[in-house]
Amino acid sequence: MTSDLRERINALTERHLSADEVRRALHDPVSAAEREAVAALVRWFTARYPTPLERLAYARRAYSRWQGVHASRVEPH
Amino acid sequence: MEPSAFDELAFFQAVAESGARALLIGRRALVLLGLPVLTADYDFWLAIDDIGAFNAACAPFGLSPTRTPDAARQSGRYALENDEHVDVLVAGSVPTVDGTRVDFEVLWDRKTSLDLGPGVRVHVPAIRDLILTKQVASRPKDVEDIRLLRLLLDEGER
Repeated sequence: MTSDLRERINALTERHLSADEVRRALHDPVSAAEREAVAALVRWFTARYPTPLERLAYARRAYSRWQGVHASRVEPH
Repeated sequence: MEPSAFDELAFFQAVAESGARALLIGRRALVLLGLPVLTADYDFWLAIDDIGAFNAACAPFGLSPTRTPDAARQSGRYALENDEHVDVLVAGSVPTVDGTRVDFEVLWDRKTSLDLGPGVRVHVPAIRDLILTKQVASRPKDVEDIRLLRLLLDEGER
């Protein structure tokens, strides 16, 4: 990933949505499949990591893994 | 890749023992509540009078504030940084994107406290209030998080 591409992605992902955009996005109905997928994810996560401290530790490991994968794809300056 | 040696439990213990009224908001609060989302930073909403206590708790971890307490109070935000990044909101109230006022004191009164270990409690807003905090920044990922939180809320109410 080039630094220019990273900046363009950041501009898209960090932009502030308008009240109308937020309203429209939240107005989309939740399908039964989405509802079940999220419920299953929560069931898995809270069973695998039953305590708040374990969940926090998972988040740090997950982010480190993500960084490891993506850092190798960033072109050096 | 292993996470850095930052002692997360000791960090939350220091914050708890400081007496600073600090609400963990942002994606790490979602993680605590059972949603495995990706996050890099720690986000807190801090009582406006508690900047000194909070900064003192963070200092032993090498976290340095980006603004003086007065400058932080004026701007309503600052960060503490080293290898870790802690974003801090220090406003008494903030508006959501549709103009709803969100008050720290109200959220603090309705907070949920979770035990991380003996004597270590972390405070997060109630789910409905966490949804409101997500409507302040209102970035695309905040909207995704709101959908997740609404589903979590629905599951809890079943």
